[in-house]
Amino acid sequence: MAIIEIKDVTKVYNPDKVPVQALNGVSIEISQGEFTAIVGPSGSGKTTLLNIIGGLDHPTEGKVFINKTDMFELNERQLTDFRLHHIGFVFQAYNLIPVLTARENVEFILQIQGRPSSESAQRSRELLEAVGLHDKFDKRPSELSGGQQQRVAVARALASKPDFVLADEPTANLDSKSTENLLDIMAKLNADSGTTFIFSTHDQRVVDRARRVITLVDGKVSTDEVR
Amino acid sequence: MNTWSIIRLSWKNVWRNPVRSSVVIASVMLAIWSGVFIVGFMNGMTLQFKNDQLDNYTSHIQIHNREYIDEIMPSHTIHDADALESELRAMPFVEAFSMRSVVNGLASSANNTYGVVISGVDVTQETQVTAIHTFLTEGDYLDASVRNPVLIGTDLAQRLSLTLRSRIILTFQDIEGNITAGAFRVTGIYRTPNTSYNERHVVVRSADLNRLLGAENAVHEIAIKVDDFSRADEYARSIAVVTADSVRSWGAISPTLRYLDSNMAVSMYIIIIIIVVALCFGIVNTMLMAVLDRTQELGMLRAIGLNKRRTFLMIMTETLFLTMVGAPFGLFLSWISIYWLGITGIDLSMFSEGLEMYGFSSMVYPALSLEYYLNVVGLMFFATLFASIFPSLKALKLNPVEAIRKV
Repeated sequence: MAIIEIKDVTKVYNPDKVPVQALNGVSIEISQGEFTAIVGPSGSGKTTLLNIIGGLDHPTEGKVFINKTDMFELNERQLTDFRLHHIGFVFQAYNLIPVLTARENVEFILQIQGRPSSESAQRSRELLEAVGLHDKFDKRPSELSGGQQQRVAVARALASKPDFVLADEPTANLDSKSTENLLDIMAKLNADSGTTFIFSTHDQRVVDRARRVITLVDGKVSTDEVR
Repeated sequence: MNTWSIIRLSWKNVWRNPVRSSVVIASVMLAIWSGVFIVGFMNGMTLQFKNDQLDNYTSHIQIHNREYIDEIMPSHTIHDADALESELRAMPFVEAFSMRSVVNGLASSANNTYGVVISGVDVTQETQVTAIHTFLTEGDYLDASVRNPVLIGTDLAQRLSLTLRSRIILTFQDIEGNITAGAFRVTGIYRTPNTSYNERHVVVRSADLNRLLGAENAVHEIAIKVDDFSRADEYARSIAVVTADSVRSWGAISPTLRYLDSNMAVSMYIIIIIIVVALCFGIVNTMLMAVLDRTQELGMLRAIGLNKRRTFLMIMTETLFLTMVGAPFGLFLSWISIYWLGITGIDLSMFSEGLEMYGFSSMVYPALSLEYYLNVVGLMFFATLFASIFPSLKALKLNPVEAIRKV
């Protein structure tokens, strides 16, 4: 069953001045448990598509349904709340909160959801252990390597048990070993708990591990390969 | 729970840049300390001036013949002073009063002559109303064993080259308008904080003065001390009911004093508001820097689901922490300074000549009421809330997509 339905999505930046067509009639369906990579050359629309799926940007035309909810029918407050409860984000630059420890970074999202502190603490412990950081609970981001920070970011993205995780170039700032390590962890989480991962990436190593590869060229789906 | 998380994150964010935050907190502390202390100093000085004026010169209420106010003539005495005295004794709010005969005259010594105001007083009554007797530097207060004793100020003594037991001739008009004179002996020399008063006022016994005036029961002025000086206007109206003479409160006698009294509070708040507003600009600047430094992080927080209300709360709480950490220390320092110097006093004797010319004492005892400290806390709190609006709005305007990609 599709958890994400993207229907004829078009995105034009600067429509009144110098229009730039980032997406042009993109339609994709993504099902529960997929491990999908969105690839394409720079400027092909990968990040724009990810932002629209994540409710961070609005399409010029078209619809996006997440579990049958038309995301862009929601007002801004509802959309923010929807992101909080249904979508996990992993960013290229990790984007952890530098004043919080690894554990607190993971707990924070649960706390703003209003979960009890005991539940938040237990869940953050489980997730940090799952990403192999059982000995780094109380380390701040500045005390962690890039790979470790990205693993904390993955734990944070999974904390709220989202419908899917969006990862924008998650390995772009990592070395080979860290990349392999991160991909192993995400693949395991995908296999074990059926978490849906959607990446935008240039990294062939990520593409090699993906079970579905959607290629965008000039804002259109060029190929959609299921392995 | 989630609000507490935001508040805890705000507190940690304050210490993200410890040097910058410490500088802001220290500046808040110093600004509050200096502002509140200056206000305490001014308040103490003004309070002292007011108390000096009320205790030594104007008293709380004065009664005069209406014509006496227009023209100080010995014949313009209070009508039926004996009856008025009985009425005053019956009034519960009257703590004490002094019935005086007051004339303008000339004081002459062997060396010089100077124009003075001569007050004839009943020693017992006068010491209950004014505190001139506490300012004696030499001699006694109208020594009863001496014939025609006179009390003079240090400045008049200097001008006329007089010392204790010197002879002085006081010349003035009697009740009939004839020039009369009497020889008096200096039995006491006083020094109040007001040089003008020290130079122009001499005090004698009313019996001695009235004998020379030719009217034994002449009373030109009744100075009254009441139980609450702030109600002097109301009390003056009550007294006016029983006499046809002019009854004036201290505020009517000395409008400058009333102005000082009523405007001191306003001046105090204006000073602290100016300081707080200046501080707010510094705080807004710091918080804007903090928001701009964290564009990417704020964008991430918005992206993962921190709504606008919580983002606003986070920035506002950070601003509050930044201010309200320094403010209590500043207030505590102010309180310690004002309390300690309120006991020991600040000696401004190097400026005493200028201060005493305007009736200000050269020893200043800073003073400030608890209410003012509390109001400063409230003012700081609301000013900070106001100051947090701009940086918070700036944070809300960040587009998560653009903010996350910003390096």
